[in-house]
Amino acid sequence: MKLIGFSTGALARGDFHRALQMLSHKKANAVELSALRQDELAPLVQQLGELDLGRFQYIAFHAPSAMEQSYEPAALDLLKQVAARNWPIIVHPDAMHNPSDWACLGDCLCIENMDKRKPIGQTATDLAKFFEILPNASLCFDIGHARQVDPTMSEAWAILQRFRDRIKQLHVSEVNTQSKHDPISLESILAFQKVSHLLPSDAPIILESRVEESEINEEIETALDALNPASQLAIASD
Amino acid sequence: MSGAKSIPKASTRLLDSETFQTTRKKSLEMRQYLDDILSKEVGKYASPDTSLVVFGSLARGEWTTGSDLDWTYLIDGGAKSTHLQITQDIQRVFKQKNLAEPGPTGTFGNMAFSHDIIHQIGGQNDTNKNTTQRILLLLESTPIGERKEAYERVIRAVIDRYLEEDTHLLTRDSKNYRVPRFLLNDIVRFWRTMAVDFANKQRDRAGKGWGLRNAKLRMSRKLIFASGLLICFSSSLDPELRNKISTDTNDVRFQLGNHIRDYVRLTPLEVVESLVNRYDIPDSVAKELFDSYAKFLRILDDETSRKALDALRSEDSETDPTFKQIREISDAFKRALDYIFFENRQLARLTREYGVF
Repeated sequence: MKLIGFSTGALARGDFHRALQMLSHKKANAVELSALRQDELAPLVQQLGELDLGRFQYIAFHAPSAMEQSYEPAALDLLKQVAARNWPIIVHPDAMHNPSDWACLGDCLCIENMDKRKPIGQTATDLAKFFEILPNASLCFDIGHARQVDPTMSEAWAILQRFRDRIKQLHVSEVNTQSKHDPISLESILAFQKVSHLLPSDAPIILESRVEESEINEEIETALDALNPASQLAIASD
Repeated sequence: MSGAKSIPKASTRLLDSETFQTTRKKSLEMRQYLDDILSKEVGKYASPDTSLVVFGSLARGEWTTGSDLDWTYLIDGGAKSTHLQITQDIQRVFKQKNLAEPGPTGTFGNMAFSHDIIHQIGGQNDTNKNTTQRILLLLESTPIGERKEAYERVIRAVIDRYLEEDTHLLTRDSKNYRVPRFLLNDIVRFWRTMAVDFANKQRDRAGKGWGLRNAKLRMSRKLIFASGLLICFSSSLDPELRNKISTDTNDVRFQLGNHIRDYVRLTPLEVVESLVNRYDIPDSVAKELFDSYAKFLRILDDETSRKALDALRSEDSETDPTFKQIREISDAFKRALDYIFFENRQLARLTREYGVF
């Protein structure tokens, strides 16, 4: 069974308890616990031991997408507690004020490629600079961000050609022109299929689509289909 | 976007001459100046969805005294009423700074939307303006300032459109790339359009500006056509590209798309320079090509000569001393191009196969 699930931040912004509740009795066997805002980090880390995560075969943790420079050392202290659980910690390149300091997270550090709003981190060239400083870091390949940055998927292809072996997990969703995560559209499916053959087949999939609870299973099916190289062949032969 | 791969440079640095260095330096300074004045007067004029793009001599690195400033506010995102306001602010600032305005056709100095540029290739709605913007985006454009995302996306998308419609990117035995014919045909069409428009402008403007337009058609316009042809031909001649051929159809297109993208990042002169050595062009031919072009730039950079050309009407062209120089220079330039495209073993084959019929 493919590892696939949701980001708690996508399902219920800032309310991981509610998001985990929404995922109960669903097809998800993976989850990403999100502390997307700086003030969400400490409460989430403090409650990790109390959460019922037993049904998930894969758990990742999303660090704040932006933080004040003065908060960075405190954030790293908290994130070290997450690393102690050996969970991948997803980090936005521009959230790291002093990238070399993040080496303390070892191979739990997982850098994500960015959307078009961010000043850096969208391209293979940008990512290479971070991997040079943090050679043990892995990649969270956000295919929705890559499509938004370059709808032809050339940049996605370039990232995959160069960093496929670093991929620890995938982020999947439709990223709209305002950089919001939406349910996957046909337009995205067609774009994803152009590079689906290059995605590591065993990489866990974390959906960031903002969906209602009743739409969770359908979105999981859509994502599995969109990323399945065999589906691409089916469409091509029609 | 990912940086360009290392495109091989000619062993002889043909662009190291003082003239080329000067015009390149002036171009870089002018681009920086445009960014500085707009940042100061307008603020954050570009965004992830918009780029200010310049064309012509400024983009080619050939800025000379009196050069026109051809620009477009390129929009690749949701339509917003503020786009017009920003465009008008840019127009106002350029006018205040006495920067030479674009020509009266309306092709430049305005907004342009990615949708038409990407979707309307051929067909009734591919207007002269649309074709011009699209081909010049590929062959002689560069964004101003730091915000280049919209520009990069549109360039990628245009290249992708050409390759999407080309159903056979590889030769029958799948061992080599073909010349991308759709792209090549559009470049050829554009060159012929420029030549036809030259005659049309002569009529529309009652002969005004004939000398300068004629000189540009003989030299700078011809250069961008030649560089476009060379980019297309390089697809079939590049051994590195050939070695990357994959069995996956999408990979085949991505590789070729990246190859073309890497080349269109260069200026037309850089494209020609990078390919001159690769195709065993004799030094004498390369020298004739680049020397004649440098002479052309020096004439344009000389205020008296430029004004003389601008004032020249066709009926006086036989006796005008400046135009006599242009004719000699352009003859040498053409002779060198003729050798490259018709005498060189590798390129002549492709010129014959794709150039006319």
